[in-house]
Amino acid sequence: MKFTTPVTGIVLLVAAILTGCSSATSSGGGTGSAPAGAALTVADVAPFSGPDAALGPTYLASCYGATSAINSAGGVLGHQLTCKSVDTRGDPADAVPAVNQMFASSSNLGLVIGCTSDEAASVVPVINAHKMAMFCMTGQSEFDNVKFPYFYRLVPPDLEESYAMVAIAQQLHYNRIALAFGNDIGSQTFIQPAIAAIKKAGMTLATNQTLDLHATTFRTEAEAIIQSHPDVIMTEALGAADPTLFGEIKQLNGGKMIPIIGTSAAISPPFFKSAAAAVGATAFTSNFHADNLVVESSGPAFKTFSTALLAEQGKVPGATGDFTTYLSAPGGVHLYDGINLAALAMLMSKSTSPSVYGPDIVKIGNGVPGATVCYSFASCAASLKAGKAIRYEGPGGPTSFDTFHDSTGIFQVDTYSASGQVNVVGNLTATQLRSLSG
Amino acid sequence: MTIFLASVGFGLVTASVLAVAAVGFTLQFGVTDVLNLAYGAVMIAGAFLAYVINQAGVNVWIGLVVAVVACSAGSVLLNSGVYSPFQRRGASPITMVIVSLGMTLIIEFGVQAIAGGTSVSYTLSEGPSVHAGGLVLTTVQLVVIGLSIVVMAGTHVLLRYTRLGKAMRATAANKSLARNCGIRTSRVITITWALTGALCGLAGVIFAIDAGSFDATATDLFLIMILAAVFLGGPGQAYGAMLGAVVIGLATEISAAYITPSYKYVVAFVVLLAMLGVRPAGLLGATP
Repeated sequence: MKFTTPVTGIVLLVAAILTGCSSATSSGGGTGSAPAGAALTVADVAPFSGPDAALGPTYLASCYGATSAINSAGGVLGHQLTCKSVDTRGDPADAVPAVNQMFASSSNLGLVIGCTSDEAASVVPVINAHKMAMFCMTGQSEFDNVKFPYFYRLVPPDLEESYAMVAIAQQLHYNRIALAFGNDIGSQTFIQPAIAAIKKAGMTLATNQTLDLHATTFRTEAEAIIQSHPDVIMTEALGAADPTLFGEIKQLNGGKMIPIIGTSAAISPPFFKSAAAAVGATAFTSNFHADNLVVESSGPAFKTFSTALLAEQGKVPGATGDFTTYLSAPGGVHLYDGINLAALAMLMSKSTSPSVYGPDIVKIGNGVPGATVCYSFASCAASLKAGKAIRYEGPGGPTSFDTFHDSTGIFQVDTYSASGQVNVVGNLTATQLRSLSG
Repeated sequence: MTIFLASVGFGLVTASVLAVAAVGFTLQFGVTDVLNLAYGAVMIAGAFLAYVINQAGVNVWIGLVVAVVACSAGSVLLNSGVYSPFQRRGASPITMVIVSLGMTLIIEFGVQAIAGGTSVSYTLSEGPSVHAGGLVLTTVQLVVIGLSIVVMAGTHVLLRYTRLGKAMRATAANKSLARNCGIRTSRVITITWALTGALCGLAGVIFAIDAGSFDATATDLFLIMILAAVFLGGPGQAYGAMLGAVVIGLATEISAAYITPSYKYVVAFVVLLAMLGVRPAGLLGATP
């Protein structure tokens, strides 16, 4: 009432800043060898808040599982491993200060995991400049052929995941495809490869909707999708966006869901919980498929992995829903492997300094002729102690690092059961994906 | 045409939620002189309180009532414990804005620390959908629109026909003069915090119902829309806020039908800036 126009402007500006307010929890940095006996920190640099908040706890679960198993096997060079969270909020602007704070506030950092597509472009150069090894969960194609010596990746480029989604649509005989991706960096990278693959497959792009992850409703987008009469919707819009969209599509479509193909990021307990709550578990599960990296569901590596991970149930901050889903979550599996690879490389090189142990990650992952294949940190460590060359094969399967430290896996098709358990219902061959690539 | 009518329906639902929130916000600002940017955070705290109650197996509409009461009490405490002491020490309006911004972070991240960073949904049946032309609205959405109409009518009756409403208007217009006329302005201000806090709680729960899924930061963008509606109508003007909510609600949803939907909030602010260019005091604000 007594408000002047200049003040109005200032207030609106300040209020607008609200949408970008940041928070960060920090953990330690430092790139030299850790002092004898000091705990070595594995930092989970990932979103723990914001739309992609489910990712951080997923990776933390794998960190808890891996470090617990490593510690039970005697640790690494006299060090116990611990996990810490570094919240990037899924925003590059928040991620860089959070990572800088991480390096400034501790001296026993041994490895970084996480670094999703949300923040990888901004934090990978920073982490690399600190000469800290990192296993990142980004599929961004810019890391396909740019050399960051301390960067390692066990997940394929996003464009391959786009091809995988289109391949699933082919397998299910869908023709008209609607795209609904979030406006975050990580989700937007799927769109162009998906459109190209849809065209190459002879399918029809019904509509392409971008979802503002900070918006509260997507009714207009849902209506536009429905009016484009798609057979299936390909989507990645994490946080509340996808569940909200699903609910509104169901409402506006006369109570009927439209089939959905999600990305591997949808294989997480919080996503299932939110989506099932929005449309009902039965409606969701009977209409949902997702691509996912092939992960083992049996064998010695899986047995060790599942035992280690499930022992952490109830201990991981932020982990909600059916904990067994983490056994199939791509981050859960591949970062578990990443931590084991790094820890074994430390043993092999007899150093916790990434500049020393880094090259041995590739040697242990790819193996050398005559190397003994081992499936857990404990058995691999025993082989190393016996003076044998080793090749680690974890629950994520064999690795094959290229010169850019990328090791891409192959894909499977996942669904959920009504109780939230993940079922593998098919596989995608390399030939299928190649036929869809540009 | 169908998508136009559909988007009008969506706009009405958005406007209904926005109107409840904006009327509470603007009344709070007009009477108390505090531009409470923590309003959105209190909204989401109310929404989560209703969620906790709902998860315990209680109907969400009962959760709504509890949230209304809790947000009312919480807003009174927020004023008496935080804002009022700053005002007594002569804090400037901008200082108060910064204080409220700080409270936003404290409340929002407090909720997040307790509830976690993931999104949640109420267990609630949407009821059968009503189709009229291109309009498609669920029973729950019709209830939300109905609640909003009741709140708007109640606000009109309060401000126009009750002693309290007149005292609120007098306090808003000139606090010193109102005090000299025998109005107990401090009491009026406390009651205003309680009433607007109740509206805040109501807005939080119907916002969460409307959104379907929500998390601790869900109202960040919605607060900007509240501000747009308030300033479009004229800060401190309850009727202006109602009008502003309808304009912003319809503008965002209808524009989304014809341009890239992710730009719909840009449209809301273009409307606001254009309006402020023509009438700096807002649609119903007093011109100097």
